[in-house]
Amino acid sequence: MRSEQEVNRTIELYSNMVRRICMIHLKNYADTEDIFQTVFLKYALSSISFENERHERSWLIRITINACKDLLKSFFHSRVTSLDEIIEKPEAMREDHTEVLEAVLSLPQKYRDIIYLHYYEDYTAPEISRILGKKVNTVYTLLTRSKQMLREKLGGDEDE
Amino acid sequence: MNEKLKEAFDEVQAEDQLKRKTKEFVFQKTKGYTQHRFTGYKYIISAFACMALFLLGGRWVYFTPTVEISIDINPSVELGVNRFNRIISFESYNDDGQELVDSLDIKFMDYSEAVNQIVESEDITSLLSDGEILTIAVVGADNLQSQKIFSNIQSCTEEKNNTYCWYVHSEEVEKAHESGLSYGKYKAFLEVQKLDPGVTVEEIQNMTMREIRDLINELSDDGENGTDYLGNSNRQGEKQKGRGRKQAE
Repeated sequence: MRSEQEVNRTIELYSNMVRRICMIHLKNYADTEDIFQTVFLKYALSSISFENERHERSWLIRITINACKDLLKSFFHSRVTSLDEIIEKPEAMREDHTEVLEAVLSLPQKYRDIIYLHYYEDYTAPEISRILGKKVNTVYTLLTRSKQMLREKLGGDEDE
Repeated sequence: MNEKLKEAFDEVQAEDQLKRKTKEFVFQKTKGYTQHRFTGYKYIISAFACMALFLLGGRWVYFTPTVEISIDINPSVELGVNRFNRIISFESYNDDGQELVDSLDIKFMDYSEAVNQIVESEDITSLLSDGEILTIAVVGADNLQSQKIFSNIQSCTEEKNNTYCWYVHSEEVEKAHESGLSYGKYKAFLEVQKLDPGVTVEEIQNMTMREIRDLINELSDDGENGTDYLGNSNRQGEKQKGRGRKQAE
């Protein structure tokens, strides 16, 4: 088991990342708390020694995505997704940012992880394929489609 | 679009309350980061304990003699046989025996091969041809293994002259080693003692089996030449009695 300092450091370092993954998967804030507890308890109890920060980061991403998927499998979870329910204070956000996130959340689930990992975490397609356990070609396809869909929703800015 | 996405995601941050609650939860679940630390050790300790128990148990099972084979002529040698019929120990009870033991390499050998090797060794064959008597005593707790060993050795030595084989219950000869005698010789000593209570271990110790046998014949009431004590040892010995006499004469 890891030490308290180590776990607290990890919570401070990665909680924003876990929070964002929760946002693209979950339907309400209470579930986010559950995921945080699951993920960081798992981290505290694990004895894996990470080769570097990137290794640790991708481990946590995988654990968080799996925890979210497990939670969503539960029969009682609602299927409604609204930013108001996911973010505690959505009114504090800039309007255009809210619009972008709403656009991301409106996409089917399979595209959301890809968008987050590629656009925000800067992972390449092969890295994403390893994290999500998908084929590289599938990741490329999902990336292309997600770009098209986002362009349609957000007005089609051209940048890469 | 990249920038827009980055900025938007940047706005999503874990609330301080969420972090605090998570820290408290992990602290509580791990009982202040102590509980599972020792659980890991517990698993390791129990695994080691099981392994140690297994090894010790295995060692005990393999290295505990269940049957002893006492081979006496003048060299007195005792073989310890484990439950897998392997020789796990061999000891001599006099100098001649020591010489014999030194010349053999029978450890972990199957008992029948080991007995054969001893019986057919040059020392033993020359002693037998000089008219000495070889006795092979199978000492056991009357279990299946000892019975089998006895009957095997019996069939192997059937054709040999001046060779006797008999079965002794381990309780009968439990004091043998205290007296410094091998089981086989001790059994012979008990027989002599029955006829002459004044006889001492020291007197018997350096006698050959032939000499002991002659002494018994002298002391026995009927004085009949060829009456051997071997037949009186037990039920299996009864079978051997007739054969033993025939071989001896």
